[in-house]
Amino acid sequence: MDNKELQIIETTAIVHVYNGKNVLDIKPLSFTKGKVHAVLGPNGSGKTTLLNILGLLLKPTKGNVFFEGEDVYANRILINDVRTKMTTVIQNPVLFDTTVEKNIDFGLRIRGKTKEERKVIVNDCLEMVRLEGFQKRKAKELSGGEAQRVAIARALAIKPQVLFLDEFTSNVDEKSIEVLEEVIREVNYEYGNTIFLVTHDTHQAYKLADEVINLFDGRVVQSSLENLFRGRVTKTNNLSTFDTGRMNIVVVTDREGIVYAAINPRDIVISLKPLNSSARNSFHGIINKIIDDGSSVLLNLKAGEELKVKITKESFIEMKLSIGSEVYLSFKSTAVEVF
Amino acid sequence: MDYLFGGLTTALKLIFTFDNEVMNCTWVSLKISSVAILLASLIGVPLGFLIGANNFRGKKTVITLFNTMMALPTVVVGLLVFSFISRQGPLGTLGLLFSPTAMIIGQFILSTPIITALSISAIQGIDPRIRTTLITLGARSYQVLLALMLEARFAIMAAVIAGFGRIIGEVGSAMMLGGNIKGYTRSITTAIALETSKGEFSLGLALGIILLTVALSVNIMLRYLQQRNA
Repeated sequence: MDNKELQIIETTAIVHVYNGKNVLDIKPLSFTKGKVHAVLGPNGSGKTTLLNILGLLLKPTKGNVFFEGEDVYANRILINDVRTKMTTVIQNPVLFDTTVEKNIDFGLRIRGKTKEERKVIVNDCLEMVRLEGFQKRKAKELSGGEAQRVAIARALAIKPQVLFLDEFTSNVDEKSIEVLEEVIREVNYEYGNTIFLVTHDTHQAYKLADEVINLFDGRVVQSSLENLFRGRVTKTNNLSTFDTGRMNIVVVTDREGIVYAAINPRDIVISLKPLNSSARNSFHGIINKIIDDGSSVLLNLKAGEELKVKITKESFIEMKLSIGSEVYLSFKSTAVEVF
Repeated sequence: MDYLFGGLTTALKLIFTFDNEVMNCTWVSLKISSVAILLASLIGVPLGFLIGANNFRGKKTVITLFNTMMALPTVVVGLLVFSFISRQGPLGTLGLLFSPTAMIIGQFILSTPIITALSISAIQGIDPRIRTTLITLGARSYQVLLALMLEARFAIMAAVIAGFGRIIGEVGSAMMLGGNIKGYTRSITTAIALETSKGEFSLGLALGIILLTVALSVNIMLRYLQQRNA
């Protein structure tokens, strides 16, 4: 067997223009079959546009999309064929004005499944989203969380090879979020579906996805956009300084003027005394929040700006840190991504 | 007052004894308007959906045209159809004038714009996410259209009922195209006009009560559907 992992969707460089503005401008992408991919970014970063382009709901202004190696826009029959293999659950999905059962079996009816087959699949899908016995309930009478779960069950019913989910936990209660995240894992693990999630929740993206794409202002950026600041870069004696208004950070960049900069929380080193290292940036800060993240600990620090720092549990215990602890933060100028 | 009261009593008697003339006119009215509304729905609903669901040049003009045609005067439609089917008209040889078919044509022309215009509003009133969802589930164009119609079923029924309400009570085209022939093309409205002018007040009143009952039933249905839709 070929060891090379199969790419299910690939794109050339893509540009999408909306109202005269480039809302998406990205380099070629490729996505491995059977994995969970997350598209992460703040509001307006082009996440939904990218998802709709990959899900063939939107034709990009420039660029091509390939499904299993074939150019989908090359012929019309192929698009229709590929569309039946994938489905998107849009942000704030709507249900058809009928029963839950008829909502879920819509995709099956148009695929010519028999009544008996449909019934079995509907039952399975409802069970998967923990809404057993909801068949005859009217869609209009469901809560937001229940409706979202039915929308996902409706998408799962057609057994898509690729499932796109746009902000699937927005406007949903805590219990439904838990159920839905569990469903995503289960569907991916049991059936091997390729799943794309769009989210602005970093935690959720890294928790569920095998691969994460970070989008910012229509472009793919390297790190997760935590510790993201907007400020001005000035150059003096070959040294670039990024001024957020509250902090001056030494960076490596050719750019000048107003830019964005992000620092990966893993790239910041914490110490109890000032470090004598090659790191160009060193600040004094106070811990104001501690989040246990399993094997690591996420710290919120006040150091002029609010900064997030990720350290191992061992270091956390060793340094005996607690809320209010005073620490020193160091990071290299190359750890700051400027864009 | 006696004149009115006496007329009303006789009218009710005519209705409850199933007077032949009253029943005949009612049958003609219901038959002609039902066939006309069926044909108008078959054309108007899909047409409204095609216009409402697609974007094309001149869409706004087409919608304005249909909205204007909702107010077509019945006598103008009567005149127009008359000019085509009268002996000297281009379709004169078909011998349609003063026949139920002629009345159906007139009522079809009157109700189609109403059904079309209201169907356009019906589809425009559907949440646009429904259409996207249908596409994401793999529906082809015709399946999308059918599903959208199902989604807008209450608004469509309201459109059909509004069209029916318009033609069941119209007298202009029915008189001009049907010719008010007893037992053949005499409808409730044309009979009321004739009988009242002849001084047969009770018969006119009886027919008026039936017409009002039909109109009332239609409106109760419309209201019920609108409330369910809300």
